[in-house]
Amino acid sequence: MRARQLVWIRRISQTFFLLFFLFLLVESRLPRDVFVDYSVVFSAEPDLAIDYPVGFFFQLDPLVWLSSLISGHQLIKGFWWALVLLAVTLFMGRIFCGFVCPLGTLHHAVSWFRPSLKADAMIRANEKASSQKIKYFLLITVLVGAVLGLNMAGLMDPLSVFFRSLALALFPGAAMGLREFSEVIANSDSTALRLLSYGGEVIAQFLFGFGYKAYTTAWFIGIIFLGIVFLNRIRPRFWCRVLCPLGALLGICSRLSILRLEKDRAKCTDCELCAKSCQGAASPKPGNDWENAECLMCFNCFDSCPASALFFRFRWSSLRLNRGPDMGRRALLAGLVGGISLPLFGRLDGRVHKVADPRLIRPPGALPEKDFLTLCQRCGLCMKACPTNVINPTLTEAGMAGFWTPHLIMTQGYCEYTCTLCGDVCPTGAIRVFSAKEKIETPIVIGSAYIDRGRCLPWSGNGPCIVCEEHCPTSPKAIFFHKDMVPGPNGKQQMAQLPHVDLRKCVGCGICEFKCPVKGRPAIRVISAGESRSLENQILL
Amino acid sequence: MNFDDSITRRETLKRLITISGVVGFYGASGIPFTAFSPAQAKAAPRRFIIEGIGQTEGYSIKELATRVFDAAGGMKHFVSKGDVVAIKPNISWARQPALAATTNPVVLEAVIELCYEAGAKKVRIVDNTINDVRRCFAITGAGTVAKKTNADLVFPSSSLMRRMKINGDRLDVWPVFTPLIEADKLINLPIAKTHSLSSLTLGIKNWIGGVGGRRYALHQDIHRTIVDLAQFFKPTVTLIDGISILVKNGPSGGSPSDVAMKNTLILSDDPVAADAFAARLFGYSPDKIGFISLGDKSGLGTKEFLKLDQKKVIV
Repeated sequence: MRARQLVWIRRISQTFFLLFFLFLLVESRLPRDVFVDYSVVFSAEPDLAIDYPVGFFFQLDPLVWLSSLISGHQLIKGFWWALVLLAVTLFMGRIFCGFVCPLGTLHHAVSWFRPSLKADAMIRANEKASSQKIKYFLLITVLVGAVLGLNMAGLMDPLSVFFRSLALALFPGAAMGLREFSEVIANSDSTALRLLSYGGEVIAQFLFGFGYKAYTTAWFIGIIFLGIVFLNRIRPRFWCRVLCPLGALLGICSRLSILRLEKDRAKCTDCELCAKSCQGAASPKPGNDWENAECLMCFNCFDSCPASALFFRFRWSSLRLNRGPDMGRRALLAGLVGGISLPLFGRLDGRVHKVADPRLIRPPGALPEKDFLTLCQRCGLCMKACPTNVINPTLTEAGMAGFWTPHLIMTQGYCEYTCTLCGDVCPTGAIRVFSAKEKIETPIVIGSAYIDRGRCLPWSGNGPCIVCEEHCPTSPKAIFFHKDMVPGPNGKQQMAQLPHVDLRKCVGCGICEFKCPVKGRPAIRVISAGESRSLENQILL
Repeated sequence: MNFDDSITRRETLKRLITISGVVGFYGASGIPFTAFSPAQAKAAPRRFIIEGIGQTEGYSIKELATRVFDAAGGMKHFVSKGDVVAIKPNISWARQPALAATTNPVVLEAVIELCYEAGAKKVRIVDNTINDVRRCFAITGAGTVAKKTNADLVFPSSSLMRRMKINGDRLDVWPVFTPLIEADKLINLPIAKTHSLSSLTLGIKNWIGGVGGRRYALHQDIHRTIVDLAQFFKPTVTLIDGISILVKNGPSGGSPSDVAMKNTLILSDDPVAADAFAARLFGYSPDKIGFISLGDKSGLGTKEFLKLDQKKVIV
């Protein structure tokens, strides 16, 4: 096959997978037209679901498969996609990086479009550097850490990084901008502008879903993402060659690859065009040893060589091992140190073994904290899918070990009583699949509510209010009233309906906290105590 | 959207009328704009209340709804050709129809079909739900009804909320869900349920689902604010769904044991009378329910439903 054709096939493949990734990301939400026929609904508790396999890219990701296998001893659903990818890698090297990876495609495009470096500088930048060992260090840290029960893969895994950044920062940011702009021009006198505003609203709703979304630490996720993209100005595909642990894993697996770059030293004119176009710094130039573990299989060198001194070929005959990945002893040692220390340090805050953070309310179906941390990829899929926007990435609530894992902020949303989406979409089963029936009948408890009597309107003598009781979804309600006299504003005793929480019935859904008219710090709040996933974090006998 | 740029109801009407080119007619006829409201424009001098009861085993709810409207002179009496009709059911909760926390979808379907038969151009299902609106539409059956009957589902969004002059005793300006205001005809289609603060939630309390903003603060003066909102919205007609009612654990219910079958529909052009009548389903005296007494006192309607043109339909 000619080089030109190969490059075009690569481009088409990259575009396809990037669009597919974006499509699944957009569809990671409850669709609008998910209607249940009520003749059916009369008889069964319906579970609304997302139509598309939105976790596909995480099933395809060998790092997700491997880390959850080592750490949580679980084979995630659809893991055989990852095995297929590994098998392909064994034969064809890091073809995933060059043809499939959506984040890699973004880096590729950014690096290719108006490169920051001029010819000579670019050739020097594309020489193999020792910084490329960092990715092996990160991979070893992740895998060793996984052995010790902390899954950090998602912090650096390119698919998690990309999904999290788009779903929690870039998309909500763009949606906010579009919505605010629409609302400004909605009041205009010009019909054209008002139509534009309506169009903006339609696009915003289609792409980004309803209303304004908010995610704590989203600014941080967004800035990190912009930083990662900016790194392409320093070296093309900086992330892929220096930082990506998935790239490192695939690089190691490419040792057996039979698709090899063949070099013809005799034909080479030393024009260095191959080095200039090599985004992986894999030493394509004849005379140097090809670094197959670094090669992103983009076929740029093959395409750029004017003298036909380079070509890719399947070599079936010899089963000789390729050059091993150049990770060096230091990366290995540092990886071991990092991988051993981080999971242990991460548990030193006592949140796993001593006392749970009251604000760390995990989604329903979340595994016990220790198991949860062995599986959660921090990808943000549950946060994106949650219809009420209650699931947010943690900052400090789950300690260092649980940075960016999901937790529920009840002032921002609440857990819908019969909703099961977070369990449906979780790619690794850190939030297990559960049905609405199970959620209600077991019941799955995520926390418990308590009343702040100093703030509560009836308790503090500031007038009647029953909003928490009204919204309480359990039957019978977990919030009940006791009528009693309380001193009013003038000191006179007055009769009031005073809300109380029945801890035996409360499931911690948080709708009471969300709807409480006392804004800022609601008068009824939910803490994690009582969550059914924990044996220790309990209140009642 | 700029919420401080409030528009009064009168201004909205003026705008609508100006657009439709009938301002001259009203100007000439000497009817002041303040007197213009769908209910008053259509209602006969004597108001009516119709009770429909399904007594035979396996009766058709649709037939019951049709017969109830027929007793009032047919849907044509309320909906004219080319009208845009907004229906305000109570589908606040993402609950199955069997749990009676939301308007019965069969009743909703029947009313929409009647509207279309009467020549409505478009029927819209409008409710600012409490639970996530997609889940509410999906699980209560309203979404399926909309698909079957070709009605529009209106999804609440901030751009559809507009601060308007309520001119109530307690509420002055409040964000209103505009599709309810912009329709030619407005049908209130609540379900009868218990409520721990207002005793019951029936017809006029349903208008809390027609506003946005800090609406959970309305509970601090619930009866007064309900009446304020009911005076603002003024539906063409109210049909209270009493097919199955929520007798305890209201207004959200959650268990079949909270539900009682009453097989009743109550239709009236007097919102207070409809509520007073429906209170009897629970065995409550209308006088004991704050918003009914208050609605009676403030001239919204009468709780003395016996004085109305009363009819009974049995299927």
